[in-house]
Amino acid sequence: MNKELYNNILNKKHHQYRHNVEWTLAQEYAENGLSPIERMSDRFERLCNEEKAIILDGEQIVFLRTVSNIPAIFTDSEWEDISSKYYIHELGFISNLSPNYYDTIAKGLIKKRETADNYGKRAIDNIIKLSDKYLEEAKKQGREDLVEILSQVPRYPARNFREALQFFRILHYSLWLEGNYHNTIGRFDRYMYKYLKKDMEKGIYTEETALELLEDFFLSFNKDSDIYVGVQQGDNGQSMMLGGCDEDGKDVFNLLSELCLKASCNNKMIDPKINLRVSKNTPVERYIEATKLTKAGLGFPQYSNDDVVIPALEKLGYEHNDAANYTVAACWEFIIPNVGADIANIGAMSYPKAVNIALHNSLEKSKTYDEFFDFVKIEIEKECNDICNAIKNIWFVPSPFMNVLMDCATYNGGKYNNFGIHGTGIATATDSLAAIKKYVFEEKSIDKTELINAIDVNFENTPELLHRLRYESPKLGNNDDFVDSIATELLDAFANALKGKINCRGGIYRAGTGSAMYYLWHANEIGASPDGRRAKEPFGTNFSVSLFANVKGPVSVIASMTKQHFENAMNGGPLTLEFHQSIFADDDGIEKVGILVKNFIDRGGHQLQLNTVNLDKMIDAQKHPENYRQLVVRIWGWSAYFVELDKEYQDHVIARQAYTV
Amino acid sequence: MIGTIFDIKEMAVHDGPGIRTTIFFKGCPLRCKWCHNPEGLSFDPQLMYKDAKCIDCKRCQNICEHEDCKPFQRCIHICPENCLEIVGRTVETKELANELKQSAGVLGESFGGFTFSGGEPLAQSQFLFELIDELKNYHLCIETSGYADEKIFLSVIEKLDFIIMDLKIADSRIHKQYTGVDNELILHNFELLKKSNKPYLIRTPLIPNITDTKENLNSLYNIIDDNSKWEKLPYNSLAGAKYKFLGMKYNI
Repeated sequence: MNKELYNNILNKKHHQYRHNVEWTLAQEYAENGLSPIERMSDRFERLCNEEKAIILDGEQIVFLRTVSNIPAIFTDSEWEDISSKYYIHELGFISNLSPNYYDTIAKGLIKKRETADNYGKRAIDNIIKLSDKYLEEAKKQGREDLVEILSQVPRYPARNFREALQFFRILHYSLWLEGNYHNTIGRFDRYMYKYLKKDMEKGIYTEETALELLEDFFLSFNKDSDIYVGVQQGDNGQSMMLGGCDEDGKDVFNLLSELCLKASCNNKMIDPKINLRVSKNTPVERYIEATKLTKAGLGFPQYSNDDVVIPALEKLGYEHNDAANYTVAACWEFIIPNVGADIANIGAMSYPKAVNIALHNSLEKSKTYDEFFDFVKIEIEKECNDICNAIKNIWFVPSPFMNVLMDCATYNGGKYNNFGIHGTGIATATDSLAAIKKYVFEEKSIDKTELINAIDVNFENTPELLHRLRYESPKLGNNDDFVDSIATELLDAFANALKGKINCRGGIYRAGTGSAMYYLWHANEIGASPDGRRAKEPFGTNFSVSLFANVKGPVSVIASMTKQHFENAMNGGPLTLEFHQSIFADDDGIEKVGILVKNFIDRGGHQLQLNTVNLDKMIDAQKHPENYRQLVVRIWGWSAYFVELDKEYQDHVIARQAYTV
Repeated sequence: MIGTIFDIKEMAVHDGPGIRTTIFFKGCPLRCKWCHNPEGLSFDPQLMYKDAKCIDCKRCQNICEHEDCKPFQRCIHICPENCLEIVGRTVETKELANELKQSAGVLGESFGGFTFSGGEPLAQSQFLFELIDELKNYHLCIETSGYADEKIFLSVIEKLDFIIMDLKIADSRIHKQYTGVDNELILHNFELLKKSNKPYLIRTPLIPNITDTKENLNSLYNIIDDNSKWEKLPYNSLAGAKYKFLGMKYNI
């Protein structure tokens, strides 16, 4: 890679080309009574016109954001009005789709224009105009290579690997500029490989030179990402899926897949987010290669198991070819490229909240544990009903250019319109129920009232009770069927609660194993819990063991977390394992972690993310952030620069279990 | 047969081939000044106090009724931050073997085997023999100082697949100064190991100015010979950390 360019971008030198625009578009649009789609179309045009063509020294893949902000198109009162009439999801703009970049790259924008609606045509025209600015700038700078490329793309089909990559950049850039977010990359190695293959056969690239170009291309995802929306810096949804099978079950992992793993490892940046589809047919060598990327400490790759995901998606109603083509959304939710408009993060159900309510209202009257668990199930159902019933009349601001890039119309959904709901705090709830089952009902060594009262005062007066529940009670993650079966029952209860429900777009609801940021938010909703968790303490992320649980090690955790019935709950949400950096110190350690991952997949685990941590580094980074600007950690589905995170997110990563050698 | 262990580590990476489980035996006849598992020295369960999270509430100092707290004069069931732990648990061979087999079962074919470490596993030889017998269908390895009766040493290695043995200091007087015992027995057992046809690895921890001296390493080289696999381990700078937890002093 170009070291100088890399450092300049890392040090944000390119920010000097940015400026804010002070337009009052919303006011203007309101006064002129423009419809939402007209506003989107017009704003995109103005932004394209305002964008300057800046080509950085040594850049191979161009297009850079020079306008930092995207002004609102609705006034506050208009938005209030819209929000009162419709269900608005998050920001109200389209997100988490995996558009068909390839189709446009292969056809060119002129051809795509023929079948686009008027707004699509207008968007295409603006992109071409902006691209021509870059062409002019390339001529000015004497960049013959870029002149050739930009004379071809994006008007006409890409003819080679470099043009294909540049075309991708233009399309992706435009999606962000239009106001869409969490714009995922999809099965990149699958649709791009033919360009690389042809160029290599012609001798235009070797593996080394192709890797260099790819590194530059990967760099481009990091140029503007700080101005993309997300919960924290890094949460921008630029997910790339590698590997996996095709519709006939054949493995599609190719040379480009391999080079992408290497490029990510060499760049060591938080974008693009590398995901890898695997199955029981994945050779162990591939896991070992992938573990070299894990060693880099970026939290990549995240693994998804085709053997579990594809049949489960089909069971939920996805057509085989679509299920076999799955990718992930911003974090880990399973979505379908080109045609899927699933909203896989529409809400989150808190398991510990259900347990908490049942505890207060129904523990006393329950004569057996099974009776009590039935009450917990009822609370889970209630939460699900509340979430689902609130979603009526969902509406998104229409995106004309996204509509061009997708294979189906997206103004009112797509081919698939399923909604996904996360399930937070499963370990907290499981451990709580295990404690209740054992101590309250079986041993009868803890009194019901005693337990409820202790929880209500955050264990203030009952240190021994706290100690027993927190440190001595059986926990999820120790391969103990007594506890693990409770997690299975909870996930089943969640899936059952959503079964048969139809959403306002005619799709179904998918129960998930993720938590997104709810591991913090939901934890603040309840006080202490029967697993010995104190009030205000967060839950574990996604599908993980409790933060303070005493677990034997990663082998036991894997055993515990692969017993559940994922075929009924396929929205996504990985098991997270944290390893200390030292385990990767030599080839031996790398190989063993690779074998462990293979084992997880072979046992039927559905999704896995591995983090490489160094506790000392993180603690020091809190004290001296200036020394750790490049320290990356995995959060709940994406990676971040540790020092850019809010403290509560930093503290959470520090608190997580880390397996050492 | 009952034995005392102080840890079982899943996913041990440097203790032999494959993904292994390592069982740490409590108690050791040596007293190496650099030992980084001080909880392995004494044969008895001990109180371990991790002070980092201690909030000084002093609840542990209140008299309690728990039987298991009585030997330690502290209550171990009350610390809000779990700073107090009893390290060292006594366990019946069969019970331990069943526990271990369950964890091995998770990895199936990927499971590499069991490694007996510690402390000094040979110091609880009866317990070790029984455990080896229970686990005989697995690949078995030992990490040992080699300081044990010749008959015990031979009978143990005969049943194992791989032996990792420490040779720390060549000069017997210096050996006694830093480990508490002289090395005649150890060197004798090493000769037996060489003659035994068992695959093995010799490890030497590189302790600055003590074991890593040119003299020591040259002398060891002459003893070890070219045919042996020899690993020199860098000094673990965190070795001292656990000493204060056990109320002990780290003397390096």
